[in-house]
Amino acid sequence: MSQPRDASPHASPPVANVMPAVHYLNADRGVWSWLTTIDHKRIGIMYFVSVLFAFLLGGIFAMLLRIEHLTPEPTIMGANTYNRMFTLHGVVMIFMFMIPAIPGIFGNFLLPLMLGAKDVAFPKLNLLSLYLYWAGATLASVGMVMGGTDTGWTFYAPYSTSTPTTLFPVLLGVFIMGFSSIVTGLNFIVTIHTLRAPGMGWMRIPLFVWAIYATSIIQVLATPVIGLTVLLVGIEKVGGFGLFDATRGGDPVLFQHMFWFYSHPAVYIMVLPAMGVMSEVIGAFSRKNIFGYKAIAYSSLGIAFVGFFAWGHHMFVSGQSVLDNGAFAAISMLVGVFTAIKVFNWVATLYRGSIAVKTPMLYACGFLFFLVFGGMTGIAVATVSLDVHWHDTYFVVAHFHFIMVGAVIMAFLAAMHYWFPKMFGRNYNEGWGMVAASFIILGFNATFIPQFLVGNAGMPRRYFMYPERFTSLNVASTAGSSLLAFGFVIIVIYLIYALVRGEVAGPNPWGSRGYEWNTPSPPPKHNFDVTPVIDRDAHSYQEPGEEVEHVVI
Amino acid sequence: MSSSEAHAIAGDQPHAAHDPHLAHHFDTIEKQDHAVRLGMWLFLGTEVLLFAGLFLGYTVYRHFYHQTFHEASRTLDLALGALNTVVLISSSFTVAMAFYFVKKGKNGACATMLVLTVLCALTFLVVKTFEYRHKFLEGALPGKFYHFEEVKGQGANLFYTVYFLATGLHAFHVIVGMSILIWVLARVLKGHFSPTYYIPVELGGLYWHLVDLVWIFLFPLLYLI
Amino acid sequence: MANQPVVPSNAPSHAPSHAEEHASHGPGRYFVIWFVLLGFTGLTVWTGRMDLGAANIGIALAIATIKETLVVLFFMHLSDSHGANRLVFLVSVLFLVVLLVGVFGDLLSRAEISLPSGAPAFDSPESSAPAPR
Repeated sequence: MSQPRDASPHASPPVANVMPAVHYLNADRGVWSWLTTIDHKRIGIMYFVSVLFAFLLGGIFAMLLRIEHLTPEPTIMGANTYNRMFTLHGVVMIFMFMIPAIPGIFGNFLLPLMLGAKDVAFPKLNLLSLYLYWAGATLASVGMVMGGTDTGWTFYAPYSTSTPTTLFPVLLGVFIMGFSSIVTGLNFIVTIHTLRAPGMGWMRIPLFVWAIYATSIIQVLATPVIGLTVLLVGIEKVGGFGLFDATRGGDPVLFQHMFWFYSHPAVYIMVLPAMGVMSEVIGAFSRKNIFGYKAIAYSSLGIAFVGFFAWGHHMFVSGQSVLDNGAFAAISMLVGVFTAIKVFNWVATLYRGSIAVKTPMLYACGFLFFLVFGGMTGIAVATVSLDVHWHDTYFVVAHFHFIMVGAVIMAFLAAMHYWFPKMFGRNYNEGWGMVAASFIILGFNATFIPQFLVGNAGMPRRYFMYPERFTSLNVASTAGSSLLAFGFVIIVIYLIYALVRGEVAGPNPWGSRGYEWNTPSPPPKHNFDVTPVIDRDAHSYQEPGEEVEHVVI
Repeated sequence: MSSSEAHAIAGDQPHAAHDPHLAHHFDTIEKQDHAVRLGMWLFLGTEVLLFAGLFLGYTVYRHFYHQTFHEASRTLDLALGALNTVVLISSSFTVAMAFYFVKKGKNGACATMLVLTVLCALTFLVVKTFEYRHKFLEGALPGKFYHFEEVKGQGANLFYTVYFLATGLHAFHVIVGMSILIWVLARVLKGHFSPTYYIPVELGGLYWHLVDLVWIFLFPLLYLI
Repeated sequence: MANQPVVPSNAPSHAPSHAEEHASHGPGRYFVIWFVLLGFTGLTVWTGRMDLGAANIGIALAIATIKETLVVLFFMHLSDSHGANRLVFLVSVLFLVVLLVGVFGDLLSRAEISLPSGAPAFDSPESSAPAPR
């Protein structure tokens, strides 16, 4: 489909765009039409709203924790409350936000558009995945209202099987949300296999789709294990029989094996879609073909595959054998190779590209920085001899927040800004976007770099109080988290404003070559009037007759 | 766009003579069938990983308490276990035959095979009930309820914990599979299927085979060694 | 970029596609597989209650694997199914094995102090002699 005009960020100001009269948001009216929709775009929007509520909840827990850590003594809460607070922060952030966020929102919204399809393979299952998410999230929230649990999001036995706190609704909520994850992954895999438009071979699918494909494999195969594990914990707590009670000959380390067999690949469920977003954003805002398409595509599969072999690095000090420790350490470092491949390819894409300094690109830069540092500290903690010192300290906390917040949430924000015009047909205010991005990137550094330092100095995690000498770093971290929170508040404000009063975006305000930009913004309910035929490579900026500037390898 | 382009893809054209089972977002029924089968195999993959945890539990505690597990497995009724194995294998055969018949258009024979499969499933559950009842009476119960005098020693209660969890989860799947097959049977009797449309029978059968597969491994591990 | 749709066959095809063609064979093969499975069941019951020491587990698992292969290939038609389906099944089984191997490797090589009492301990340089009670 031809562009109405050259819509690159460097073109002269375009004439005013017109919002399509009918699109997926207004095609059917009424709450019931939303609750019974099988339109993947509407399902994506509903995930959007739900997931943002979860982020708000998890964020409030985080702020309360940081406020508590302003002083070494009790500040605003007692010890038991603190324990529940960090548990629920983890449970909400991981199961209600991080796991569903990018696949549920952007995967759902974009996959059919990127593949040239009218919908995902199983639209009703898609709606079911949303309902399962709501059911699980509600159940877990009920558990929180009933007082919540204090086991940590890792639910380690034997404490989890004997804690007097309200654990069962939380476990059941996690179990049901797991099903949502499985259904989503299954749907995406089948969609990618069977609903590609004519002409779209595997080596022409967008890199975001490759990332979602790899993520979905993990969702489908790893999640059942944690489903069973939390079920066993629930049965042991309520029924008094199970596999983890040492007084009856059970082995608590077995719980850890089973738990981490899912929970390690789970972090790749969180990070792989983020990496996919990055491939899209970096290509679009360098106006250049992605360097090393095949390398990025295969390394996504590589991360997903090797990620299944590395779970024991969470268990270095649990009593696991030295042999397994060594094996898991070595395998974990292998994942770093695949990640590095991606980082090099992204940087090579930026090189000599026509960089547009827009909000998504700012977040992309933040992502690269935080992924590299977070990833390198990951290799560091994967070294057994070092992890013996760092395990259960704030060093590990800082490491995974660098990846989960620094990398994944930067990517989430980049995705939100990049695809906002596509989803809602309006542009947000670029100036405020950059202001918020600055607060977030700077605030993030201020929050988590002190945590590396204080963790290395020996401050344990999940401890209600800390020795006095760690006070200044903790105060610094809390101050940073306020900046971070402030940045998020700014984003909410200008995005809501953009929804109602934003400038109409037109089909492709970024001039991106992603396939999804070939539809109007917002897209019509049925995506395409006629199924498109794909006759060029994914996100290709090659013009006919152009020199080899935009080389694809 | 020209009208010649507009009607190119099956499903775009209104009221085309296309398969009534074809969903609007699939081009052809072959693609749709492939998608549905792939989806089912993915689901079976999740079931394999679901039982993986229980097989792991068995492996771990068998390794720790080799002797006790060996003694405990002798207290399970081998005849009933073997009978259940034969029943499930035969039910796999009958459901495979049901699929064969529906593809040939022999709906009556298909229905008969499905009825036999469901009867096998019921037999399995009845036998399991007898076995469970026996264990209850003996006191060979999981975890804190264990008071079975015949097998003592560290880890004895764990054998029965694994036994009840694994066979319990499996029995749950037998019930689910049986329900699915009853639903498929109802549709066969109503004449929904033909040599050109039989995929629900195929998928129901695939799920049932998985139930059999799990038992093929559970049986020797729990009853024999 | 022109948007000429390529036209796949508009006529709904009722014949199974090549990849999913369950070969039009007779029902005989199902009977054969059934009897073979029953035979292996008998074999595993017979060998299972013999005392063959460590070989018992190996034989039982080998027979179970053979039975599983037969069911998957022939009753579930994986032998004439799309490659994608086969890959899904194989990868699932692979990760099951990875889970078992990873944990079992841990069990076999743990220090005695990390094991439940009564559990066999191997290769622990600290312990003088394993002391099962």
